[in-house]
Formats: sequence, C-alpha cells, structure tokens
Amino acid sequence: MRTVTNRGMAVLLLLLVLVVFPVIAALPNQVATIRLAGLSVLWWYGGVIAPVLAWLIAVAWLPDPPPPRRPE
Amino acid sequence: MTSAAHILAVWLTPVLWLSMPSLILERGPDGLWTGLALVLVPLIALAAGAPEPAAGAREPAFPVVILLLTVGVLFWANMILAGDVAAWLGAPRWHGIAITAASGCLLTTWRGAWRIIPALLLAAVLAVNAPLPEVARVAGVGPLGAWARVATLAAFHFPSTSSWVTAGRDLRIIHGGGPIVFDEEHRITAPAGGRLFARTPDGGRARDLEWTLTPGQSVTFRAGDRLQSNSAPRLRFESDKRVPGSPPSGVAWAMGRPPDWPRHAGLLVTVLFGALALCRAGAPVRPSRSTVALVAGGGLVAFLWAQGWAVYSLLASPDLFLGGITPERLLALPALGDGHPARPTLQALLLAGGLAGFLASSIALRERLVALDRTGGGEIGRDVSLWTSVFAIAGLASLWHLDCWSLALLALGTAGSSVGATALGSAAAPPGVATFAGLVGLAVFVALAVACQVRGGAEGLLGAVQAYPALAAVPAAAVVLRISRWAVS
Repeated sequence: MRTVTNRGMAVLLLLLVLVVFPVIAALPNQVATIRLAGLSVLWWYGGVIAPVLAWLIAVAWLPDPPPPRRPE
Repeated sequence: MTSAAHILAVWLTPVLWLSMPSLILERGPDGLWTGLALVLVPLIALAAGAPEPAAGAREPAFPVVILLLTVGVLFWANMILAGDVAAWLGAPRWHGIAITAASGCLLTTWRGAWRIIPALLLAAVLAVNAPLPEVARVAGVGPLGAWARVATLAAFHFPSTSSWVTAGRDLRIIHGGGPIVFDEEHRITAPAGGRLFARTPDGGRARDLEWTLTPGQSVTFRAGDRLQSNSAPRLRFESDKRVPGSPPSGVAWAMGRPPDWPRHAGLLVTVLFGALALCRAGAPVRPSRSTVALVAGGGLVAFLWAQGWAVYSLLASPDLFLGGITPERLLALPALGDGHPARPTLQALLLAGGLAGFLASSIALRERLVALDRTGGGEIGRDVSLWTSVFAIAGLASLWHLDCWSLALLALGTAGSSVGATALGSAAAPPGVATFAGLVGLAVFVALAVACQVRGGAEGLLGAVQAYPALAAVPAAAVVLRISRWAVS
C-alpha cells in the first residue's frame, strides 16, 4: 500500500513540476521575466530547477521494487 | 546501469533529443517546456509502473504490431534527420540515409548487440558534449552569460561572417518551412545568377514577382515582401540586416508567447502516453531506484546540453532563424566559424555521436519488441529479413522529405493512443478488452490526424486536438477500456 502511495505521489509531483512552468509564464506583471543572476525566473525554473527537482523526486519517492519471492 | 541505458536509448532517440535545442531556439520558453516534458515523461512512465499481467493470460499480438509500426516510423524520422544533416553539409541526402540505415541494419545480425547499448550511449553523450567547452571558449562567456546576451539583443542580425553573407547559400536546403518575409529593406544578391521569385503586398492583394538575374546582380526587397524558397540556386544576404523570420528582439524570444494551455496539454498527452507505451513495453514491472536515478540523470544531462547548445548557437549565428530552425542546422556546429581549426574534428565528433545515439536507440527499440514477444521467444527482434525490410522501407521513405519532429510525434501519438492508453492501472486488462480499446484509440487517432490534414488551422481546444490527435484518442481508448472491463467482469 505504501509503495502504491509513494509511486502515485511521485507521478503527481512530476506532473506538478511540469505544470508549474506555464503557470509561472502566465503570472501577471511579467513576473516570469524578472532576472536573477542573469537568467529570468521562467528560464531558471524550466532550465535548471525543474529538471533537478524531477531528479530528486524520482530518486526520493520511488522505492526499490520488493525482492522476488522465494519458491516454497 | 544496463536497464537505465536501455530506457534512455529507447526514449531519447536522436530525433527527439536533437530536436530539443532547435525547439528551444524556435519557440523560446515553449520549446524549453517541450524539452522539460521530454525529459520528465519517462520518469512519470517509470513511476506509474507497469500493470501485472494476469496469470496464464494469452499474449496479444496487437501491442507487438503497434510497437513494430512505431519503431519503423521512429527509424524513418531519424533517417530523415540523417539525410538533412548530409544535405546541410553539402553531400547528397541519400548518403546520410544510407549510412544510417546500413549501420542499423548490420547490427540486427548480431544477437548480442544489446550488450553495447551502454557503451554506444556513453560514446554519444561524450561526443556531442565534447564541442561545448570549445564553443564556450570561443564565445568567451559562460552559459548564463550567453543566455543573458541573447536575451538582451535588440534584434537578430546577419553577422558579417555568416556564410549567407560571405559566399551565399542555396535556399532549397532550408527545410524549416518558415516564410522568408523581410522586416526591413534588404538587398539580395545572386552570385551565380538565376531566377528569383517573390510575393509582395500590393494594396489588399499579393502580387507575384519574378526576376532573371545575371551573376552578381541584386534585388532590393521591401518590408513585407516574401522571398520564395524555389528562387535562385545561391543567394547572398546583407550583413547587419535583420534575419527574416527572427523574433523581434532577444527579450521577445526569452519571454515567448503567453502559454497555450490546450496545446500544452496535447503535447503532454502525446509524449506521456507515447512514453508509457515505449518505456514500459516488456520492461520490469517496477524498476529499481538506481535505474530511475540514472534515467533522470541522463535526461538532465541531455536537457542541459540542449540548452547550452541552443544558446551558444544562437549567440554566434542568429541567421539560424532564416527559413525556420531545424536540428540539422545545429548539428553543423554554427557556434564555430568556418575557419576555426577544430571545426572539422568537432563536427565529425557530433556526427559520430548522433550515429552512436541512433545505433543505441535502434538496438534498444528492437529489444523492446523482443521482450514483448514472449510467445515467439523474441524472434521478432532478431528476424534479419524483417528488420532489413524495416530499414529499407524507412530509408526509401526518408528520401521523401518530411518534418522529422512531426513524424516522431505521430509515432508517439500512435503508440500512446493504442497501447499507452490501455496500460494504465495496477492490473492488466484482459487481452481482448485491451486490444478492442486500443483499436478504438487508434481509429480515433488516425481519423483526427487525417481530418487535420484535410482541414487544419483551428484555434483553441479544436486546434490542439487537430495538432495532437492523442488528446482525444487517449481518453476515448481509456473510456472504452473502462466500459469493456466493467462489461466483461
């Protein structure tokens, strides 16, 4: 049950990482274009933060599969 | 390690990962999001896990047929790209197609070819990343600085060193399909002479014009004039003039257009369900954590490479926008000038990396079919005559020029609508039910794809469904699957 929950959570979080990008792009007052250390907020998120977040989510939320059952 | 390399090779077939930098260049943030989606969807597919096959259930032929079709179309798209690269480098298209098809075909005769997938993938990664440090050194700026420079450009101008300015180039090798519409007065010279075709706005109507130029003769175009791509064999553009078809400025490129939600959804559904079909076919039900970590790491490397490649290429060569951006133009190493001493070596490395990527991908895709074909003992993946035919048909078809990115999306949409859509849930559907639902998904996908060709150009949700038929086909298959499951239970 725990495994199913973790996997479902990982799928949801990964989809969320994708959806946040157009949400940032659609923010009012051109928030997405604000520059931080040379790069705009939108490009920071889409180019650097989101793929690193995805890596962390995949590693942290996806447990190893259960060991194969031994024949009795 | 091997398992992760197989998944990466299946998913990041060259036509997909080499399209990433060209999409970033062409669409700005929209392209960046597409690249992000391409990197994330295999992780989502792995996280979703594969349904447990029912004990003693008969293995259906439908997914095998669909996967074979998908693999064939992906080969086709890759070979179109290989032909385009050859043409851009000045060789006949068929050279690139023949080399790719022959080397891929040769590997089908080797039963243990799957063992070299990690080595081929590693070679591809090293080869395509090797030019980046040199490109950065020549540019004299790091990746963040390069992006900042591009994003602050007042306009994209032809550099004086561009081959479109110095010697001139043949417009017919541009396959981007973008119109060459001038934004300002621009003098075009035909160094070897020839005929020039243009369309100019004349009041409310468009007027077609034609000139026959002697060698070295020029024609001046005004803002709004459109140069036809079937014009003179070789044309020279003016230095420091705006590149026709480029965004208004670097700021506009970096900002992009407001998000088109229906099209974003269409692309996501297409690639996500395509990944579900491709990455999970015959794969272990649940991959290990280290496999997922390596797949995520590989995707991250490919995505960062694509961004760096796109930005440095654009910084050095804004003329990439002329006539639309296509992957082969980026593989020609535009970030280094023609006279750079290391250019031939690095270009050869890039080509070798692309070929290694294709070979790894072709073996991994065949191995997916082997794993899926349990009844036949995986013989489908080792049938030399079958794969020779697949490579030959794909090779011949790629002589006919199409957009390789659209073709790859078509392959993913087909797989996603028919196999990916029915592979959801913790338990596999009975084979007959899954096949029926898959056929419905496939029928809807094909009908919408044909309808889009006949009557395209719609906006909003309808436009998104026309552009990405999987947006309607996947839910249709999922609904039919649910109803059929309920009916047979």
